[in-house]
Amino acid sequence: MANYTERAKQSHAVEWLNDNAQVLSIALFFIACMGFFWALTDTFMTTGNLLNVVRQGAPVLIVAVAMTFVIMTAGIDLAVGSIVALINALAAILMANGFDWVTTSVMMLAAGAVVGLAQGWFISFQGIAAFIVTLAGMSILRGIALYITEGYSIPIKDQAGFFWLGRGTLAGIPVPAILAVLVAIIGFIIMRNTRYGRQVVAVGSNLEAARRVGMPARWIVCSVYMMSGIACAIAGLLIAARLGSGSSNAAVGFEMQVIAAVVLGGTSLMGGRGSILGTALGALTILIIGNGLILMHVSPFLTQIVTGVIILLAVWMNTRLFGAGFKLGKKG
Amino acid sequence: MSETAQRGGAIPPNSATPLVSLRDIRLTFGSHQALRGVDLDVMPGECLALLGDNAAGKSTLSKVISGTYIPDSGTITVQGEEVRFTGPNDARSRNIEMVFQDLALCDHIDVVGNLFLGRELNKGPFLDQKAMLARAQEMLEALEIRIPRLTARVEKLSGGQRQAIAIARAASFQPKVLIMDEPTSALAVAEVEAVLSLINRVKAKGVGVVLITHRLQDVFRVCDRAAIMYEGTKVAERMIADTNLEEIVNLITGGH
Repeated sequence: MANYTERAKQSHAVEWLNDNAQVLSIALFFIACMGFFWALTDTFMTTGNLLNVVRQGAPVLIVAVAMTFVIMTAGIDLAVGSIVALINALAAILMANGFDWVTTSVMMLAAGAVVGLAQGWFISFQGIAAFIVTLAGMSILRGIALYITEGYSIPIKDQAGFFWLGRGTLAGIPVPAILAVLVAIIGFIIMRNTRYGRQVVAVGSNLEAARRVGMPARWIVCSVYMMSGIACAIAGLLIAARLGSGSSNAAVGFEMQVIAAVVLGGTSLMGGRGSILGTALGALTILIIGNGLILMHVSPFLTQIVTGVIILLAVWMNTRLFGAGFKLGKKG
Repeated sequence: MSETAQRGGAIPPNSATPLVSLRDIRLTFGSHQALRGVDLDVMPGECLALLGDNAAGKSTLSKVISGTYIPDSGTITVQGEEVRFTGPNDARSRNIEMVFQDLALCDHIDVVGNLFLGRELNKGPFLDQKAMLARAQEMLEALEIRIPRLTARVEKLSGGQRQAIAIARAASFQPKVLIMDEPTSALAVAEVEAVLSLINRVKAKGVGVVLITHRLQDVFRVCDRAAIMYEGTKVAERMIADTNLEEIVNLITGGH
């Protein structure tokens, strides 16, 4: 008679802490940042400022949710900033040529999906590394945006409904922020509670195992890039609606902000491990650091350095303290 | 040498129809003759050991049964009906399950999720976590597998527990044939015992088990019959009751 040896059962609280260590760590870091800027500036903790942060940060949050799915499959999408710029410019050009904003928006969502699908096809069906495909995409798509706008910013005129998307409020809350929260909630539910979400995690965790149990592994990998493209289209439209113009120079450095938000949120670049909640907190942390440093009158040149250092430190702490080997209640 | 002798002189079949029978299976990878005409029967409720040195063709043959490889020629008959597998899903739909040497578990998914991997239960558009947890508990209880917490991620479990989950996954969806490739190779002593008693319990339910292993002591513990492969052919078949370790070793090394 053989039995498996069993360890003493841990308390539920400790188990829960262990399972959620990554999210808890970023949540603590987020609260610490909030406290820091609240203490050191008069303006940070005001409704007006916080609403501004979420309005401006909505595109980052939306794309970071999609990027979480991409990174969960152990992939990466470096082209998100370029897709946002392309959609941003294209939308302005279409509206300048007499299309109404609803038609334009639908076409732009489709365009984002097509661009994402194209990248996904090269990655999953042609087996080219995601890093290479999206690096090329980053250059090509920004190039197209520059080419069609010839570098000019294109104004959007007389589209009240469209401007409301970027500038309006609903019950005092900016519309972009509401959209971003909706996207995050949908992403959260898909990741945790649907078969598709389970398939994304499985493919990222063990591609071969997913294939052997009959999951359409290639399609799943391809689909996350399509979702990323659609999220970028939403972000591009929101930026155009807020600024009232389309430009090929929109969203420069956007991909770094998005990837930093996802990684800060505890999602592993090796795939399989991550959470939308962590990503949301990561994105908010990045946004308030940027905002808070400006309010502290730190030189804008220093802001970039400080942001980078904070991200590096946070991720370092995350992997050292809360990495795979971490277990509460275990000494040594 | 007659045709039958070349294929290892099959033991006269008993009264039951075999769950799976392979006849004259040939498979070539480029210029490498992986399988050179193999016959094999898997009977219900028995454990068949597939033995042989490395590169003898054991794993290749098991992958033919599980639909991962498609043979160049030869026939596969499942319960009297000739079939042609085009992939692992075909074999799965005929209740042939395989436990892979590398287990094929997803480390970042919990025990329940791994047991239901690729067969998730849905409630409307969402996963039915409650039903899956309840079914998983029943599945593991039926096989007397004890895992402290079913919502723990698989990466936190020991080698033996992971092995047990891989076997439970294959054994729980009413398989008729269960193929296990080296299920005990990386396990501690207590864990090996658990896997062996698990094999006996599965066998008792009438499942035909194919066990690929290098651990001959395991063969004498749980198997009823052994087929010995050498250089892509089946060179011998013995009832375990009528043979001994020495003979098996000689057959494997070709020193007879």
